Amino acid sequence: MSSFSNEQLERYSRHIILREVGVKGQDRLLKARVLIIGAGGLGAPAAMYLAAAGVGVLGIADADAVELSNLQRQIIHGTPDIGKPKAESARASMERINPEIKVNAYQTYVSAANVMDLMADYDFVIDGTDNFAAKFLINDACVIARKPFSHAGIIRFQGQLFTYVPGNGPCYRCIFDSPPPPDAVPTCSQAGVIGAMGGVIGSLQAMEAVKFITGAGNLLTGSLLTCDALRMEFRKVRLHRRRECQVCGDRPSITAPFDYAAPVCDIAP
Amino acid sequence: MDNAAADFGIDLTVDITDVVCPITFVKAKVALEDLTDGQVASIRMNDGEPVQNVPRSVKEEGHKILKLLDNRDGTYSLIVRKVG
Amino acid sequence: MNIIVSGVKKEYPEGLTVQSLIEAENVEAQMYVTVSVNEEFVKNAEFADTVLSENDSVEFLYFMGGGI
Repeated sequence: MSSFSNEQLERYSRHIILREVGVKGQDRLLKARVLIIGAGGLGAPAAMYLAAAGVGVLGIADADAVELSNLQRQIIHGTPDIGKPKAESARASMERINPEIKVNAYQTYVSAANVMDLMADYDFVIDGTDNFAAKFLINDACVIARKPFSHAGIIRFQGQLFTYVPGNGPCYRCIFDSPPPPDAVPTCSQAGVIGAMGGVIGSLQAMEAVKFITGAGNLLTGSLLTCDALRMEFRKVRLHRRRECQVCGDRPSITAPFDYAAPVCDIAP
Repeated sequence: MDNAAADFGIDLTVDITDVVCPITFVKAKVALEDLTDGQVASIRMNDGEPVQNVPRSVKEEGHKILKLLDNRDGTYSLIVRKVG
Repeated sequence: MNIIVSGVKKEYPEGLTVQSLIEAENVEAQMYVTVSVNEEFVKNAEFADTVLSENDSVEFLYFMGGGI
């Protein structure tokens, strides 16, 4: 008999029944390690679904504390969590969903100084950050460390995501060469965002992690998926690696992660 | 059951009479994943919903159903050859 | 001529450049949009010189910085 307990068979039954997952796929999930950077609008649903799925070790990194204005979308935190570190609040929720898994909470900003060490022990990274400095940093670090990751961004009623796997399609810098100047494009705190948008796109990030771990289906590499919830349109735009890309191109000029200036928030987040 | 089932050269016997849907099928599936191609499992299940659903689900997974034996005690034994 | 803009077929005059399409389509934050034509990226510096042809498929990709 397999090493699953009856309780595990019941908890993961809906996975095990699936031909694409089965016992082998669930076993891989239990042995997998995923790092989620940002315990916010994207990271919350991603972390909750991956905890529920039984991903063996989950890292959750966030330096901030839970604020009242977070609760409209960051469903991993509740009203009694206001003031607590987000990483700890997220860990408590994940362990409540599934006490079987191990959660590593990192109460820290991800920077060039710690990003390589932070992701070293993980198989897959989920970018759930809210600023371009962090998104470019995570992209560069993952490309350099040859680490697969899910990129995503949301704003207003829109979202986008893609998956990077080394040697397979473009990286974030292929699509967007460098961050826009501050205030050139709106951020969520300025422009607003529907809470459920984080749910839609963050859940898709969890889906990509599950597919990467189990080997089911095809990953969202070589395409950017965009969602326009006002028209309720999803579009998959096919893209290719850019040979002149600064980090994943044929002759990269970026060979180590570096920090862009920290984002300045003009109004309270 | 054992007398009738003996004809098939059973490699593994599983009892799923202690669980309900969908764990019935999950337990059957887990047992079959532990076998190698061509080995035979005997899966004991309750009459009613399990007998209606588990054989069909096992067949949909691509395995070969050899026989469904009535144990005359309210249970059945599904004899399955693992495929793949 | 026909140009496919974000998956929708549209009629535009011959000689249309990427830059004039961006303006005609009222693209948001025009300085910072990424453009692909037939799945290949076009450099921002080449928007004004890139002339589109019949049935070209153009995509606009926008920065989305949110997440938290």
